[in-house]
Amino acid sequence: MANTTNDAAVMLSMKDIHKSFGSLEVLKGIDLEVREGEVLAIIGPSGSGKSTLLRCINMLETINSGSIAIKGETLVQTPPGGQAEYAAQHDCRRILAHTGMVFQQFNLFPHMTVLENLLEAPIQVKKMKKADVLPYAKELLKKVGLLDRADYYPSQLSGGQQQRVAIARALCMKPDIMLFDEPTSALDPELTGEVLKTMRELAEEHMTMVVVTHEMAFAREAASQVIFMADGVIVEQGEPEPFFSHPREERTRAFLQNML
Amino acid sequence: MDKILDTALLMLDGTQITLEIFILTLIIAVPLGLLASIGRLSHLHILSRIIELYIWIMRGTPLMLQLLFVYFALPMIGIKLPDIAAALLAFILNYAAYFAEIFRAGIQSVPKGQYEAAKTLGMSYPQTMRRIILPQVIRIVLPPVSNETINLVKDTSLVYILAMNDLLRVARTIVQREFDMTPFLIAGIFYLAMTAVLTWIFKKLEAHYGKYDK
Repeated sequence: MANTTNDAAVMLSMKDIHKSFGSLEVLKGIDLEVREGEVLAIIGPSGSGKSTLLRCINMLETINSGSIAIKGETLVQTPPGGQAEYAAQHDCRRILAHTGMVFQQFNLFPHMTVLENLLEAPIQVKKMKKADVLPYAKELLKKVGLLDRADYYPSQLSGGQQQRVAIARALCMKPDIMLFDEPTSALDPELTGEVLKTMRELAEEHMTMVVVTHEMAFAREAASQVIFMADGVIVEQGEPEPFFSHPREERTRAFLQNML
Repeated sequence: MDKILDTALLMLDGTQITLEIFILTLIIAVPLGLLASIGRLSHLHILSRIIELYIWIMRGTPLMLQLLFVYFALPMIGIKLPDIAAALLAFILNYAAYFAEIFRAGIQSVPKGQYEAAKTLGMSYPQTMRRIILPQVIRIVLPPVSNETINLVKDTSLVYILAMNDLLRVARTIVQREFDMTPFLIAGIFYLAMTAVLTWIFKKLEAHYGKYDK
């Protein structure tokens, strides 16, 4: 795959990921690699396992077998023929500190103001002083265009505003990889634009991103790599231009036609 | 008029026992109930089942029976508590069970996404509970806790059967002595006054913890 970012450092590597819920196998051997500054868009029908795959990256789900490394550090690996073995708990936590996540349902802390939502983790987890986090938190709020809403509670904001706060909250921990789990799926159509704009700006700043999405326009314009998943496997993968213009696989063509 | 005042003053004495039982029960049963609810939700199956059994017994039998048991039956097996301690033990065990169920429902009603968001931000489980979950639980449980607390004020009158001189018993004694029903009326007003104060306090608390709702 000819890609100018190919000599950039590998930020995320997943090999032969298998994941079952009971007897239902939802991931059937997934391999992928994301390099620094890349934006990987994962698309596919619901039930294809794409959200589960994303949630395996930061241990919201644990895998049955395979290996995951973040910034070259092994989070989990599997001996031949064995079960997945995770790193020690404090190592896992340190490795996962490289990741930040944005959820479909925003999941802002409703009892805290916008600003408090941003300050919470740096102060509680990184033990930073409020005065030291405050300038960066405000800078992030300014970036997502919500500095004037700093003292509002989440319930006083629109869905699009809440999601932009959620992005700022994740960024406030200075992650190296941002994971987005269908960030616009819970939004009214007229509100998706502002969230996608924020994400595009983030991509332009070379943030490494993995985005599970139904927004084909975003995948096409902002992603550097696109993966189409169905039934727990990667059906097709490539750069957006050839991927959307000339999909090789019949299933990809059928899916893309339905999305338009 | 003076007589009513005298009677009321006498009954203030009784109110002291009532308030003592009420306040001590509340102070101990609320944290105990919180601990029990966390244990009930624990992945430690045996702990969860033991607490479930405890809650079932406490909610499934009359508080009056529990009082009588602690007061009369425990001494038979060699455990003799002072009157007030016996009453308190029964009240605390009973109310902690109710509070545990209220808190369990409250904790479970916080969406899973809140735990996940905290986790992806690197927060530990204790941090998540303390900073994210419990503040939301407080708002959710305030109305049912308020309900139980008002019940407790009235339930304190059950110590009547243990011959403790609470508000109701003092009233009854005066009624029997003087063949005058006003002490009952005054007792009613006293109970109403106590529950009115509680209602006001909980209203303030609900406003405080509900400020983030639209």
